[in-house]
Amino acid sequence: MATSKAPSADPKSSSDLPAEQPQQQKQQTLEEDDEFEDFPVDDWQADDTEATQNQQPQHLWEESWDDDDTTDDFSNQLKEELKRVEASKNKR
Amino acid sequence: MEFGPALYHEFGEAWKTRDGYRLAKTISPELTPSQLSSIWQSANGAGSYKAARDDDVKAAIKRGLSSSSARLDGIGQKEIKGWVEVYFAYWQAAGILAQVQQTSSWTNAYEQWKVLINALIQGYNSHEFEAWTIPCLYVAGKHLRLFAMQADEHISVNDSSATAFQDDFDPELQKHQKLEDCARVLNKVFTICLSDRAPLEESRKWGLYYIVNLLFKTYFKLNATGLSKNVLRILTAGRGDMPDFHAFPKSQQVTFKYHEGVLCFLEENYAEAEKHLTEAWNTCHKDAMRNKELILTYLIPCHLITTHTLPTEKLLEPYPRLQKLFLPLSRCIKQGELHKFDIALQEAEDEFVKRRIYLTLERGRDIALRNLLRKVFIAGGFEPVAKEGDKPVRRTRIPVAEFAAAISLGSEEKVDNDEVECLLANMIYKVSQNYALPSMFLPGASRHPRLSTLIGGLIKGYISRERSIVVLSKSGAFPGTGV
Repeated sequence: MATSKAPSADPKSSSDLPAEQPQQQKQQTLEEDDEFEDFPVDDWQADDTEATQNQQPQHLWEESWDDDDTTDDFSNQLKEELKRVEASKNKR
Repeated sequence: MEFGPALYHEFGEAWKTRDGYRLAKTISPELTPSQLSSIWQSANGAGSYKAARDDDVKAAIKRGLSSSSARLDGIGQKEIKGWVEVYFAYWQAAGILAQVQQTSSWTNAYEQWKVLINALIQGYNSHEFEAWTIPCLYVAGKHLRLFAMQADEHISVNDSSATAFQDDFDPELQKHQKLEDCARVLNKVFTICLSDRAPLEESRKWGLYYIVNLLFKTYFKLNATGLSKNVLRILTAGRGDMPDFHAFPKSQQVTFKYHEGVLCFLEENYAEAEKHLTEAWNTCHKDAMRNKELILTYLIPCHLITTHTLPTEKLLEPYPRLQKLFLPLSRCIKQGELHKFDIALQEAEDEFVKRRIYLTLERGRDIALRNLLRKVFIAGGFEPVAKEGDKPVRRTRIPVAEFAAAISLGSEEKVDNDEVECLLANMIYKVSQNYALPSMFLPGASRHPRLSTLIGGLIKGYISRERSIVVLSKSGAFPGTGV
């Protein structure tokens, strides 16, 4: 493949490679290890808990349906499809 | 800390203040190789490997500990004897650990560290070790597990070719040999803590959650959730004689609640799982991003099942990995795009299976279907108003063909009406048990018994087979969704 180009002739690729590889590796091991981590400290104040950070927990979850967004492709497709069904029914 | 005046002084100081964490630091293996090496050499006379005889080293440790604790109240000869064994084991471990990076002798390191933790266990059993010293068990237990995992890793790398041809070789057993052994040792430590009958303020029961968390991590890695449940049962049974859960450090509370929640999750007890995971989430340190991410990995599927809610973008914002995991599915659920949902589920199947959330997320299809049918209902508009001033009423008689068209949308395959009726029946099933509806026809409800027990009435209405229409309830056809 890269026979025409000696590895050292391309300073960019030679300097980039070693920097990239460990990063990839690190990500892989991170992905594999889904163990709950040790906390760096044993205990903390209520101020440092997640609950105190989020005074409005209702902003974190939302309903599973979306009535506002009815102009997307799928909604339009659905409307077309339903019209088609109605039309074929009336023909019969 | 080198074996000499400094160590013995530290031992005495920790005793003076009954500071278990300070004492535990004196047996920490979290040192550089050169620090470990100097510990090894400090008690080893000339520094050569076999120069000092074990008895000489023990005698030296005993002299040191005795002199530093001579003026202390409450420390007896028996205890000193126990601690001599602990420090002797630590000294030998330091000798192995100092070189472990070069020799990779993690099995030796593990075995020697086991000698140390056994010396501690012996200390509590026979040498009257006091409860304030339990942080020593934390340090010993934490690293026993780490060394066990290292040992297993190096065994499977080094010995796989040597053992592969033996008849009785079981690769699965071999893979976690030391970790399984470690689980047994940690279980002993658990018993040591649990069986303490001393009054709570000076009880080893304060060590319970730290050790249980170590056990959970170990069992999870061994895929032995049944054993985790055993531990939970024992804890629940003994809770009456234990300190209040919220009196334990928050790191222990969060770790415990996470594992308890995941265990419930794996048993498909989503209501309980949500409770525990929510507590873990609320108590978690705000900066512990990776742990928060892990909690959410299970909390999000829980919410989908229990309250049919989805994470907001705001919630997922700091977690790119969770966005990748959940956003495509969430979008399909919201839009009711059934076909795309199936594709998204399939595309991330490996990842979902690995995280053990596949089966749970699969149930999100019911929510997607509900949302799709809901869209059909809303698209149907309103019945003509009979009298001026009447409130408009939505069209509640919907041809099955409309639902069929919606369900087939986007997919190559056409779904026939029987199948659609079956799906609808399942969506109605639970509610129909609670509300007496006229002329009920539930074709094939028994064909999907699993589905019907899962959904708590996503639709209110009934199917009229003769006319091939679905008659939806005029008051809340889709309970809890505003229409």
